[in-house]
Amino acid sequence: MQHRRDFLYNTLLGAGPIALAHALQAAGNAPLAPREPHHRPKAKSCIFLTMLGGVSQMDTFDPKPALDKFDNTVMDWSKERATDQVSLFAKPRLILRSPWKFARHGQCGMDVSELFPNLAGCVDDMAFVKSIQAENGNHPAAVFLMNTGTVIPGSPSVGAWTTFGLGTPNQNLPGFVVLPDFRALPFSGSQQWGAGYLPASYQGTMLRWKGEPIRDLKPPAGIGPEQQTAERELLRSMNEDHLGRHFTNPDLQGRIDAYELAYRMQTEAPGTLDVDGEPESVRSMYGLDNEVTESFGRRCLMARRLVEKGVRFVQLYTPSQSWDSHTELLTRHKKNAEEVDKPIAALIADLKRRGLLDSTLIVWMGEFGRTPDNLADQRDKAGRDHNTRAMTIFFAGGGVKPGVTVGRTDDLGFKAVENIYRIRDVHATILRLMGLSDMRLTYYHAGRNRRLTDLGGNPIQEIVA
Amino acid sequence: MRIHAGWLLAASLAAAPNESVFEQKLAPVLAAHCGSCHGASASGGLSLADWKSALEGGKHGPAIVPGNAKASAIVRYLRGESQPKMPLGGSLPEETIAAIAAAIDAMEPAPRAVTDNHAAWLYKAPSRPAVPATNDKKWIANPIDAFVLSKLEAKGMRPAPPAAPRALLRRVYFDLAGLPPSPDQIAAFERDPSPAAYEKVVDDLLADSRYGERWARHWLDLARFAESDGFAIDGERPNAWRYRDYVIRAFNADKPYDVFVKEQIAGDEIDDKRGGAKDEKLVALGFLRMATWEADANFKTQLRQDFLNEVAGTTSQVFLGLTAGCARCHDHKYDPIPQRDFYRLQAFFAATRVDDRPAPFLPVEDPKTMRRLLRETEDEIDAANEALEQIEKRLKEKLPAKGDLQRALRDKKNTTLGEEDRKAHELARNRQRRATDALGRYRPVAYAVSDVTPPHVPSLPATYVLKGGELSARGESVEPGFLSCVTSKSEDAKIPFAGGSSGRRRALAEWIASPSNPLTSRVMANRVWQHHFGEGIVRTPSDFGRNGDRPSHPELLDWLAVEFVEKGWSLKKLHKTMLLSNAYRQSTASPDWKRYNEADPANLLLWRMNWLRLESESIRDTLLLLSGQLQPSHGGPGAFFAIGQDVADGFEFFKWFASGEKEQARRTVYMFQRRSVTMPMMEVFDGANMSESCSRRNVTTVAPQAFTLLNGTATTEAASKLAARIVEAVGPDRDKQIRRAFEIALGRVPSENESGRAAALYAKAARPEDALARLNAVLFNLNEFLYLE
Repeated sequence: MQHRRDFLYNTLLGAGPIALAHALQAAGNAPLAPREPHHRPKAKSCIFLTMLGGVSQMDTFDPKPALDKFDNTVMDWSKERATDQVSLFAKPRLILRSPWKFARHGQCGMDVSELFPNLAGCVDDMAFVKSIQAENGNHPAAVFLMNTGTVIPGSPSVGAWTTFGLGTPNQNLPGFVVLPDFRALPFSGSQQWGAGYLPASYQGTMLRWKGEPIRDLKPPAGIGPEQQTAERELLRSMNEDHLGRHFTNPDLQGRIDAYELAYRMQTEAPGTLDVDGEPESVRSMYGLDNEVTESFGRRCLMARRLVEKGVRFVQLYTPSQSWDSHTELLTRHKKNAEEVDKPIAALIADLKRRGLLDSTLIVWMGEFGRTPDNLADQRDKAGRDHNTRAMTIFFAGGGVKPGVTVGRTDDLGFKAVENIYRIRDVHATILRLMGLSDMRLTYYHAGRNRRLTDLGGNPIQEIVA
Repeated sequence: MRIHAGWLLAASLAAAPNESVFEQKLAPVLAAHCGSCHGASASGGLSLADWKSALEGGKHGPAIVPGNAKASAIVRYLRGESQPKMPLGGSLPEETIAAIAAAIDAMEPAPRAVTDNHAAWLYKAPSRPAVPATNDKKWIANPIDAFVLSKLEAKGMRPAPPAAPRALLRRVYFDLAGLPPSPDQIAAFERDPSPAAYEKVVDDLLADSRYGERWARHWLDLARFAESDGFAIDGERPNAWRYRDYVIRAFNADKPYDVFVKEQIAGDEIDDKRGGAKDEKLVALGFLRMATWEADANFKTQLRQDFLNEVAGTTSQVFLGLTAGCARCHDHKYDPIPQRDFYRLQAFFAATRVDDRPAPFLPVEDPKTMRRLLRETEDEIDAANEALEQIEKRLKEKLPAKGDLQRALRDKKNTTLGEEDRKAHELARNRQRRATDALGRYRPVAYAVSDVTPPHVPSLPATYVLKGGELSARGESVEPGFLSCVTSKSEDAKIPFAGGSSGRRRALAEWIASPSNPLTSRVMANRVWQHHFGEGIVRTPSDFGRNGDRPSHPELLDWLAVEFVEKGWSLKKLHKTMLLSNAYRQSTASPDWKRYNEADPANLLLWRMNWLRLESESIRDTLLLLSGQLQPSHGGPGAFFAIGQDVADGFEFFKWFASGEKEQARRTVYMFQRRSVTMPMMEVFDGANMSESCSRRNVTTVAPQAFTLLNGTATTEAASKLAARIVEAVGPDRDKQIRRAFEIALGRVPSENESGRAAALYAKAARPEDALARLNAVLFNLNEFLYLE
């Protein structure tokens, strides 16, 4: 073996086997290295705030005074071909007015209900789209659609696609981080942020906001730093000896690198995720001092710290089904809004004052909107059902034209009627702002080149600065 | 770039009129607006200077698809549907683009190309090719080597030298058993690495029941095997384990592959004496039901259609290596599969309904134990119910007269109930849930399908071609029919009589499993080759079509396919032929590495053996084996591995109860496969995606693998248990401990230098056992441990 090493050393590259293996390393072995975007990006990172269960647009950002007028009257569904939620819409239904008051805010004069007193102060930094339509009214399918562009499991999520397209600047942290709420994980768990048919390197890394943030990040109890260094040295030196004997296999170097990244993450991740080190003022700005806002607030603060360190894509989730208010709209929406309002407003303000908002894209959305009416026999429990025909979402930050509102719904908020966009258009918008073209971002799988947007989406030009 | 010979051929046939349309209507406009970049300079590889170049296109594909403006890159870019919009920095007037599109639409479409070389090979049944002559005769252990060597010699290349005995033994053990050889077995083989000794190893391993556990896993990947529905509820499929055991038994018994195919598609309709008993054949039908299932779907007709689409698509991919599912919405874009053929394929399943069918346990499934477990579980449920009632009664007494106990339990602010009350209630409730969950697993039921036929329904359901795949857009009605690209006609299939069932699935199964089917034997021979050699002869094992990879050695594949069928579809004989070849016994290193790597970096010609990384199951199973934890198992309901309590409690529709320690120490193939709960080891080391058929595992290298394998519970437990074993065997002597650890983990003794470095760990540790345990953990993480030479 020594003979071959010498041979290589002298004749091939003028470098030892280790360097040679480096030189052999194809892009496939450094899957997360930053890659050239398709065009000039407007944002470097994306924070996707996922409102699971479906937020009611007419109780938050899309006021419908006509609901007051028609409150408690019958809604006519006869002209709608109801392909989803059939059983719900076959029964008698009554229109329900919004229990919340709206007011205009900011210079743009955006309507915001009382549910979001803090976000109301940020409207001049936000762009609203009131005319999003989803294609499936069932939670699991719709959540998959929102994340992966298709209603069935097994496809890569938007975070995986983005990381696949761009790599990630900070090699000491994962490129795609997911911060779910452990009270109720999204349906199908990690498949929602999975790499699907993309290589597993692009899957989201789930972090916890309580206790150890990364599973098995720390060595087992009783292993001190000295011991760990000794282990690391032994592992590396033995792997390098092995590589010297088998220098033709580039994967071996890839794996040595991965261990080095793991050690670096061990050092960098805890610091990055340690929100308790933030000043008291910041902690209370995000609502960490209040048990209602603590969960989402901690995760918003973690998100800021992660994008600050160059993490490409961070996705936060409310608890599974949390916004789903078929009944008791009043209490459910109030509780959910309270949990996220202050943290999100703090995130926007904090990013802005640190000069990070321009390079960070914030997306806020759920899997679908809600109906203006609900079942007549549920009247006393006042709720709203799933609505794929209209949903309001908002964008903020990198590349987003602030203070604009796109699209319109009909007088009852039942259906988008102007500038209608689909989920794939939202995906195309995110990719566009991040410097990727949804048509060019493809991966060959099962017989064809797959895309996040399948046959292509139309970026929402009106919100692009 | 792959050259689609047939496409070009077909295009040239239709060239004359289209070419004149191009010259007259398009060329002038294109020259004016696009010529500066896409003329002679051919930016992006695209020149629009003449008809032939426009057809060939550039890196984004053909610029013009005759008869289809929408699919023509030129139109997409002019309209801005593809970015960047062309011409760069401007745009053509709307009416000019419309005129270009109209001209393209008016062109004669290229006839569907079925005449290319690949199709001519693929859709014709293989015949035994002549074994090629080679200059070097000594290297030829069997015809496989002649096929491999003749290609190498043609390029002036030589195969790699034989692998070292230790490397070869580890390779073949992991390959066939998914576990390493013992140090003694390695020592014995190093003493006698003769061909006869090697053949004996292969024979022993093929006869070892661990072979079935290892190779069944490959099939379970393809069968998208899981024991839950997926989607929101992700409900348990309590009897799905019987399908898993069926597959393991089939491999161990060397069930002829044609029978194996027929049982899984039509076990209830066939009567083949070579196959299993009637009840076993019902269990085999689980294959058709393994897809995800949205149990709470509102739109049941769509759910039904989704089932039909999935089962037709997966059947085509798994058995035929064709992506017929791509023809669901339109004619297949690449392969000669008209949309109509997809629905004719689907029509074989038109009468098929999902059905849990009574199927008494087979003797091998130990019916007595199953009956006992069922009884015990029933008793346990009664006891648990009673215990829960007692507690609830006691707690209710604490509450005011009309207090709602469940509400009070949920309401943490309610102080009438103490922490202990809540805890006691939760324990009792968990006991009840756990027992209730378990009951179904011991019921003699096959997770299967059945056909609904007259007189239970007026007639068999009709199948319609669905335009765009939309349920609401019914087109013509079709009868069951085989793929016309294979049969070269589109007749309806003849359906045999299958008393009580429609017989349709039997017709399909017999066509697939027929020796004259050109795809079935090649596809399976290729899958077997893929797992032995790390890559298939066709490297897209579930897509043999035009968009898949071309075979590196088509004659060899044909030879293997013919051999496979003639030897009675025996997988074990096929394994042995491959494993006894010198091609398999090569080293991963070639002395001519530099030159060969330039000529053939992907090792298509097999000038060396491919490196293989252990799959997630092998990693975990090996840790269990080396540390003496591994429990033998004869199958049965899966074991529930331990997961974090927060995760276990976090599911809305079920609760995860970990099995006992011994149960968890069974091989990974016996772990319960819930779609929404993945084992850490499976998650980070690229376990199969359970959502759809998985023909090839990814091999990724990411940092979380280090956390799981260095710090995770599986490693730390195995490391300390192995340490205890070693101390017991060799006593307190440090050097002996180190030597033994290397022998067990790596199958070799450490060099002096390595012993010295390993000893350094002892200096840092509080107790010698701890040092030894950490040494074990380090050894488990070595590339030498994870990668097979």
